Amino acid sequence: MVTKTIVFSPFSRLEGDLQIQVEVEDGRIAASRASGTLYRGFEPMLRGREPLDAIVFTCRVCGQCGLIHSAASAAAIRTLLGAEMPPNACIASNVMLAIEAVLSHLTHFYLSFAPDFAEPPYDDEAAARFLPPTGASCSRMLREREEILGVLGLFAGKWPNSLAIQPGGTTRPVNACEIRRAQGLLGEFTDFIRQQLLRCELDAWLALRSAADLDRWLGEGAHAASDMGFFITRALRLGLDGMGRWPARFISSGGWPGPTGQTLMKPGVWNGGPGDFDPARIAEHVKHSWFEPYDGGLHPHEGESEADPERTDAYSWAKAPRYEGQPAETGPLARLVNDRDPLIADLLGRHGPSVYVRELARLHETIRLLSQIGIWLGQVDPEEPFWRDTPHAESGSGVGLVEAPRGTLGHWIRVEGGKIRNYQIITPTGWNLSPRDSEDQPGPLEAALVGTPVPDPDRPVTVSHVVKSFDPCLFCTVH
Amino acid sequence: MEEGRNAPATWSRAVANLLWIQAVCCGGETASLLNSDHPHFEAALRALDVAVLGHAYLHEQAKGKMAEVLDACAAGTLPVNLLAVEGATYRTAPQPAPWATGKPLSDWVRAIARLADYTVAVGTCASFGGVMACARNPMGATGLQFHRSEKGGLLGVDYRSRSGLPVVNVPGCPAHPDWMIGTLWALRGDRLTEADLDRFNRPRAFYGKLAHHACPRNEYYEFKASATAYSQQGCLFENLGCKGTLCESDCNERLWLARTGSCTRGGFPCLSCTSPVFPDGFVPFFQTAKISDIPTSLPLDVPKAWYVGISGLSKLACPERLRRNAVSPKPVWPDKEERTRSGH
Repeated sequence: MVTKTIVFSPFSRLEGDLQIQVEVEDGRIAASRASGTLYRGFEPMLRGREPLDAIVFTCRVCGQCGLIHSAASAAAIRTLLGAEMPPNACIASNVMLAIEAVLSHLTHFYLSFAPDFAEPPYDDEAAARFLPPTGASCSRMLREREEILGVLGLFAGKWPNSLAIQPGGTTRPVNACEIRRAQGLLGEFTDFIRQQLLRCELDAWLALRSAADLDRWLGEGAHAASDMGFFITRALRLGLDGMGRWPARFISSGGWPGPTGQTLMKPGVWNGGPGDFDPARIAEHVKHSWFEPYDGGLHPHEGESEADPERTDAYSWAKAPRYEGQPAETGPLARLVNDRDPLIADLLGRHGPSVYVRELARLHETIRLLSQIGIWLGQVDPEEPFWRDTPHAESGSGVGLVEAPRGTLGHWIRVEGGKIRNYQIITPTGWNLSPRDSEDQPGPLEAALVGTPVPDPDRPVTVSHVVKSFDPCLFCTVH
Repeated sequence: MEEGRNAPATWSRAVANLLWIQAVCCGGETASLLNSDHPHFEAALRALDVAVLGHAYLHEQAKGKMAEVLDACAAGTLPVNLLAVEGATYRTAPQPAPWATGKPLSDWVRAIARLADYTVAVGTCASFGGVMACARNPMGATGLQFHRSEKGGLLGVDYRSRSGLPVVNVPGCPAHPDWMIGTLWALRGDRLTEADLDRFNRPRAFYGKLAHHACPRNEYYEFKASATAYSQQGCLFENLGCKGTLCESDCNERLWLARTGSCTRGGFPCLSCTSPVFPDGFVPFFQTAKISDIPTSLPLDVPKAWYVGISGLSKLACPERLRRNAVSPKPVWPDKEERTRSGH
């Protein structure tokens, strides 16, 4: 048997610096290592600062999903203070965060995942549709962003790096006239999704409840010619339902909490069956990461992030987060599985946690969120407050667990004498692309790559499909 | 530089190369760039008439693999007309060695900057170090030609690109898409001279004003009618730490997100993110430092003695209408009789 080691870096069309090293035996991956190759040091940077300033710094962890980092930071401070947001602020936050997720999912699909269908040895039809920036579908997506950015602007003022979400609520009350304008802009953006991504009404898509429903949908009308139809047909033809599988455990904190605290989707840990999600069972390992070593795993409240770049036994700037000592996958698929979304649950049963199902879940969630944004806009009451004064606290600890576009995001803060004593962040890509842990168990992507065919090491498009199905954001990971 | 001026007849029609390197960054400039409207991003690229090389999302793959392209750029066999760097660079070890090349990022940037016609620092980190260089900065992150307000940075005080210009800084955290595209567009047509740059080598066309200008809270500012908490309509300067009167940018005239907003329009303070001393020069962010009720950071564009005198007077002269509205989240209308009495 011939073993060949190949290093893939950079991955084109990806957020941040990722290096993948794989061992190929007989044309298939036998083992892999995922390395985040950049260090920025956000956690030590926050020590000694005013707690509220963490919102400013942490939203700059990631250019694409900074708003959700600010929301996690504000939530951590909110729990520390024992404060609550008024109902309008919960709804307004959800509108902003759902828009950030929709933008992130669509940027991923149109500028990162789908363009790989235009790579050799594939055909030109995909290039005309998906090769950026001139491919018809991606160029239209870049044009149509404007409408949903307009909705975001009415709530967030500026983005990336809006500070509109604070512990006491949201900083910009919207009036009735602005809500009407937002509904109009959302309708125009939805037209694009209807015409380009689906070629059907959002409700018609959301009525699909099984794999058989999806088969039927694909055969009807012009659905097969939509971007979604093209993706499904192409993914199944290329066998993407057989790639990227691993014995997946899925974690989700639910996401988008309403005024009563109930999340839009059910939180949970799915390990072949449902279970409760308990953040106390999270620990981070650094056996293979460039940090000062410690034994086993540490809960983020006790977490440490002292860089140690000289370590020769490490291979990533990402730590290895584990749930009950096990690697876990997070993201749209994990959210929808834990929520028992009927379509995604049925597809997971048929095709497993594969590239195809992971990617389809992301598009399906995009459509669910777009539909939900309209509902939320209708629930904002311009006569009611968006802000509530918060108490002051000199010390204490707090945690903010939210659902970022790419999955569960946690911020843990400890304050002493009015200043930040410790701040720890676990990002979604930290979960999905984690290196090996104290027990040398590979992370989800590392496990999912095993078995992937690599017919041509110079054109690693199959590897790229598997990596991108996790929608990795290396900026977030190596904070 | 004037925006909107037609391209001169001498504009070469040969496609130029824009090499975009993502260094120690968060991808925020790229995210902001994709938000460009009028022109939309793809139309902007067409107007620039450039092939985009090197960028993680935008690299034109027909031009070759990234590592090969980088090599060719550094060797001078592939001309780099515009070099755009997003993010800070490290001066000290350990160096990230991207593109599986084994060569430190900073070496790539130095080598290619020597050969580029123009070098542009996109965002505050690339310009001045920004967030990546704050606090104790163990990796020695720095801007391309400035470290904070000090000239130097990675490329040094004397650096000039082949055109003779220093690094053109386009700061902002993130930079507005118009600032990035507008600057690249002016350079592409050789229409930006040193006289068009300010003391921090930022194009005056975008950084010559203050974020404060055209802020809808200006009337409150004039009468020192201040918000005491978020979501209120008053000025954010006196109590909430707004740096709009220090921030050199045109945010409130240009507007963000399909021209719907800005920081202060979003209800939160401007943090002066285009400044070389952002962020550590402005912490704690959400407090306004004062000596006996007078903020210590006075506006950049008003004589200080006059400002202090006028502030006290204008606070006394503040109309009741503004006093009430400043601390209210929604408009408080005068009743009809009141409006008649006050002469409206």
